[in-house]
Amino acid sequence: MECRVLSIQSHVVRGYVGNKSATFPLQVLGFEVDSINSVQFSNHTGYAHWKGQVLTAEELNVLYEGIKLNNVNHYDYILTGYTRDTSFLETVVDIVQELKRLNPKLVYVCDPVMGDQGSMYVPENILPVYRDQVVAVADILTPNQFEAELLTGRTISTEKDALDVMELLHQMGPDTVVLTSTDLTSPHGDQFLVALGSQKMVRTDGSKSTQKIRIEMPKVDAVFVGTGDLFTAMLLAWSHHHPNDLKAACEKTVSVLHHVIKRTITYANEMAGPGKRPNPAQLELRMVQSKKDIEDPDIVVEATIL
Amino acid sequence: MECRVLSIQSHVVRGYVGNKSASFPLQVLGFEVDSINSVQFSNHTGTYNVEQGYVEEFALTQNPLRPSGYTRDTSFLEMVVDIVQELKRANPNLVYVCDPVLGDHGSMYVPENLHPVYKNKVVPVADIITPNQFEAELLTGKNISTEKDAVEVMDLLHKMGPDTVVITSSDLPSRLGDRFLVSLGSQRTLMPDGTKSTQRVRMEIPKVDAVFVGTGDLFAAMLLAWTHHYPNDLKTACEKTFSVMHHVIKRTISYAHDLAGPGRKPSPPQLELRMVQSKADIEDPAIVMEATVLNL
Repeated sequence: MECRVLSIQSHVVRGYVGNKSATFPLQVLGFEVDSINSVQFSNHTGYAHWKGQVLTAEELNVLYEGIKLNNVNHYDYILTGYTRDTSFLETVVDIVQELKRLNPKLVYVCDPVMGDQGSMYVPENILPVYRDQVVAVADILTPNQFEAELLTGRTISTEKDALDVMELLHQMGPDTVVLTSTDLTSPHGDQFLVALGSQKMVRTDGSKSTQKIRIEMPKVDAVFVGTGDLFTAMLLAWSHHHPNDLKAACEKTVSVLHHVIKRTITYANEMAGPGKRPNPAQLELRMVQSKKDIEDPDIVVEATIL
Repeated sequence: MECRVLSIQSHVVRGYVGNKSASFPLQVLGFEVDSINSVQFSNHTGTYNVEQGYVEEFALTQNPLRPSGYTRDTSFLEMVVDIVQELKRANPNLVYVCDPVLGDHGSMYVPENLHPVYKNKVVPVADIITPNQFEAELLTGKNISTEKDAVEVMDLLHKMGPDTVVITSSDLPSRLGDRFLVSLGSQRTLMPDGTKSTQRVRMEIPKVDAVFVGTGDLFAAMLLAWTHHYPNDLKTACEKTFSVMHHVIKRTISYAHDLAGPGRKPSPPQLELRMVQSKADIEDPAIVMEATVLNL
């Protein structure tokens, strides 16, 4: 497999978010990963302290220019996640557009990170950039419910709302949309959360079809950081292997997350000791320890085709 | 295995040098790697463009420790020494692996003022060093013309600090002929009765007709890994390390030639190490060369 990904995400010295979360699993699956670090922080910002430096839009451009001057600006995938700076994000859009001109088959996998549970954790002026520029060039989009609502201006209270919102997102650009988590009630009860996916395909006879799926995932009583980045990276990998089968791609992706999270929470609880809540350092994903699960995940969830 | 490495080296967007070269293989072997990127470049400067030179690389690791690579800046190097010393105070078992990158084939490719910093400050706190012949000569002020010279130089390096020294390449003639280069290693260990014993090894490494970048960083990272698993057996640690190098380089040169086409010299992008493709070799390298234990 000869597949090259350009991933523009944060770097943390310690722990697994951004590029640290995405790179190792993709490499383990045989992808070449070129990574531009949008920031370099000591650790993620959920710890008591963090220190580091950010890359400006201009510096991003300089790095891209270096790749371009050497005529190695050919990618099969682009992957982006958490970004706080509008000019940085706009520069990313320019880069995506240029790379797509050079390779029309390029797939841009975009996690439009803006917030969760009803509140934004990036500056508000990022929303119009995502809504009006980024989503239009994305091929795979992984918003949570809040981000999907923000992007479309619609609220999601029922599964039907969610399907309508995903359809609106398709019209804005991406052929594949996964609502990574929602507040919708799960048939399995309140220990489960509902994720939904929708993929537009063109059949061999030229007609269009849309596959819609639902996945119920067990809730975990802890706050993990970097799981969204891992999810998006693994969705890239598994949709690469199952390009017209969102069901399979999602089952693999969600299963990997399950194994990594399970290993992580077990270890974190051991480190914290009985009756104590693990701290952010203890809750860092057990990424290298999960190599086998990443390579060949046991399928532990089943997606329902809607 | 719960082992955390702090690696301070360069980051390149594309390709495999510095932290890009060291992190994936160490992670694949189950090490936690915390990485501080000393620079972020689009790609290595080794041969992508006309400028001769190397990317700034630094690596410093915590339990085990591994710095590699090279910096052009004395204050950065001195900061690394400070960090090493503080980490060693916090963990006396910490192992500092240092590649004292100064030059090769008789000439320095870093500013001369780095030499005294390596010699007087860095090497004394290092536990494992991986100089080439030129760097070993520079650090000790002694020339290497024979294997005996090399052993004496390694003993001098032991006295300066590190208990493990690997001269990664030398001009010494190989018994297998001129298609091979000679590497030597020396490891001082403390016996149960309190005396010191030194194991010295020699390896004959097949030469490859190409310029690779990042192989030194991969070497130091893998030596870190294999000495961790074989702490008192430099022979085995070196056999594994050099074998991994062999597999990665072989895969890389085959692929590079395929890409370049018959009769053409591969370009730098084509010669980037086939790192992710070599995962199985990194995890469990088939041993393809034997180290000779020197009886001295």
